[in-house]
Amino acid sequence: MRLTRIGALASVAVLTFAACSGTGTPGGGDNKGTIKIAIELPMEGSELAASQPIVNGVRLAIKDAGGAAGGYTIVNDDTLVFDDAVDGAHNEQQGATNMNTIVQDPDIVAVIGPLNSSVAKAQIPISNEAGVLQCSPANTNPDLTKGEPAKELRPAGKPNNYIRVVATDDVQGPAAAKYIFENLGAKSVYIIDDTETFGKGVADAFQADFESRGGTVVQRDGVPKTTTDYTSILTAAAAKNPEAIYFGGVTATGGARILKAAVQAGLGDIPYVGPDGINDGSGDTPDSFLNLAGADAKNSYSTLAAIGDFPQKADFDAAYKEEFGIDATGYAGMGYACAQIVIDAITRAAESNPGDRTALREAVRAAGTATDHTYKTILGDITFDANGDTSQKIISIYKYDEATNNWSFLEQIDYAAGGG
Amino acid sequence: MTAIASRATPVRRSRGYMLVLLCLVGVVAYYFLLLIALTLNPATSNAASALALQQVANALSIGAIYALIALGYTMVYGIIELINFAHGDVFMVGAFLSVVILGGVLGQTSQITDLIPLILLLAVALVFVMPLTGLLNVGIERFFYRPLRNAPRLAPLITAIGVSFILQNVALAVAGSGDRSSPQIFPLRDNAWRWEIGGISIPFLSFFIFAVAMVLMVALQQFVGRTRLGRAMRSTAQDREAAALMGVDLNQTIALTFLLGGALAGAAGVVWGLQFGYVRFDLGLNAGLKAFTAAVLGGIGNITGAVLGGFMIGFIEVFAASLGYTRWSHFVVFTVLAFVLVFRPAGILGQQLGERA
Repeated sequence: MRLTRIGALASVAVLTFAACSGTGTPGGGDNKGTIKIAIELPMEGSELAASQPIVNGVRLAIKDAGGAAGGYTIVNDDTLVFDDAVDGAHNEQQGATNMNTIVQDPDIVAVIGPLNSSVAKAQIPISNEAGVLQCSPANTNPDLTKGEPAKELRPAGKPNNYIRVVATDDVQGPAAAKYIFENLGAKSVYIIDDTETFGKGVADAFQADFESRGGTVVQRDGVPKTTTDYTSILTAAAAKNPEAIYFGGVTATGGARILKAAVQAGLGDIPYVGPDGINDGSGDTPDSFLNLAGADAKNSYSTLAAIGDFPQKADFDAAYKEEFGIDATGYAGMGYACAQIVIDAITRAAESNPGDRTALREAVRAAGTATDHTYKTILGDITFDANGDTSQKIISIYKYDEATNNWSFLEQIDYAAGGG
Repeated sequence: MTAIASRATPVRRSRGYMLVLLCLVGVVAYYFLLLIALTLNPATSNAASALALQQVANALSIGAIYALIALGYTMVYGIIELINFAHGDVFMVGAFLSVVILGGVLGQTSQITDLIPLILLLAVALVFVMPLTGLLNVGIERFFYRPLRNAPRLAPLITAIGVSFILQNVALAVAGSGDRSSPQIFPLRDNAWRWEIGGISIPFLSFFIFAVAMVLMVALQQFVGRTRLGRAMRSTAQDREAAALMGVDLNQTIALTFLLGGALAGAAGVVWGLQFGYVRFDLGLNAGLKAFTAAVLGGIGNITGAVLGGFMIGFIEVFAASLGYTRWSHFVVFTVLAFVLVFRPAGILGQQLGERA
């Protein structure tokens, strides 16, 4: 947080400097000056395990694009990484504060983030009013883009500015339900969620699908992230003999703690399944789910609300490993794809030679959310609908692999092609 | 008058002592009856009783942790009428030190299934952590509270809150803001280390934690009640000036109180790590609040009361959670506290504190 504030100050200083010197070459040539892409993620504690791969993915994409788009030089240094974590977990108020800072910098033409749907809920009203293109590599709550709740998030009623490259929880939950019911053969399940926008939403979607398949939910609990002792609640659940546990939430809201309490209560040998919130890095990544769970993770499964086995995955993994020295995990590829989309949008926006930064920001927003453009990303060809949702509706299933101490890809379910 | 001094003659068992004994006998009897019921009729395997049995085990272990922390609150209050808000954070430091000794120094991160090495390791952890947290508590007293001993009462109180923040932020700076894994060397998965009964299995760890806590608490009782230093503590609590006039070294006695309280909080930190498998910088906030409540519930200043209060809070919390009201646990705990204080303003075993309250 402290660093972010300093970062914000520094970016104001850079902006002042740029305003004095950078407007010398309007319109023409290959060098139209510098523009900024901001990243807005929780960068502390367990959330960092999920966020760092995204930051790396974005940086790699900018580097692969030559650090420029449409004649503009792209800047994304550490002062442009806005941190919405407070005391180790994402914080909605901090997310809103960061977005207010971001929209006041006219050089920032697009934002990549946030990680958590609850933070997105606090940010969309601000970014929508300012007309800044926002691409999330990880938000999966359906209410952010669809129906009446989505309208309420946009009181200014400006044109759409929010897109996301991941599928939504109305398929992520059901995909886990399908896998537990059909592949793992568990017919009864215990569901526990963290009571947040994302966690409760995905658990609701899971429960509806699991019950529609004929499965039994032996008990459903909502427990906030401030809880320290989950033992007794898991003991009560264990008495009902579930064949699997589904956790709706993220590592920072109790993912690993609940697993440990389950082991304690004697539920260590049944599958423990969670959404993308616990698929946040290998066992070697500090504070990740696998890192905290240790040996208790042996029966853990997780989903990612995105394509796990994309055509250029091997090349991406190799390039990522060479650049950062670690394996690409979680939503690294989705961060890369978001950056590709933003860069593509900047390139197309620049063709109309916007007069100033305000016009450029609006042109990038319009180009980025266009529904008739097909983006060529490493995840494959993507188009966005009028709500900002991706045409790629794929959920990938992962299992913990003790040999590699990491999540290993099992299969993916394509809901756009009528899967599930 | 504070109740740390209430047992003027240690041989005579006080009402509070009897009450706690009664509670424990009740719990053990309840266990025994359930056990008999389950053994006589294993076919029907009364699932509800078995579940209750397991929840009682959960309550005993979390209650033991609260009780160990509550003792530090109550002893310090008894002797210098200070609510030591930093005490919960001393417990947090103890939990971190346990990670350091078990995971870092001894390099033991997985469970140990041999009894002797396991007991030895746990003993090493306790012997390492307890003196350190005790000395930390003594240091806090020496540098923050002693200079303010004769200051208006709000000054040390605010200082205590400040020390709490200092400890929290040091932990935050050193360990970061996420959860940290704590080595769970006590086997939890292994069926040989669980009590399988009536379709329910209870890890022996729960009983181990209870046993460790009971041993420490009885040791403390005996120390305070029977030794010369314990007598000095009780007389200081009763009347500081008179005790000084009788030749009691006040500074030494108060430091000893902080040493004992800190050591018990350290022990609570060690067993916390075994039970829950994680530590974090703000652990002391919640645990400290609950333990402080336990001390008030039992009658602040009263050692037996703190133990009783700790187990009561443990049982109330587990009871709320087992009915599915985990997020209401604070509500239930503090409602019970409010009711108890309405009818017994000094707590269950507390005595009227008069103008010193």
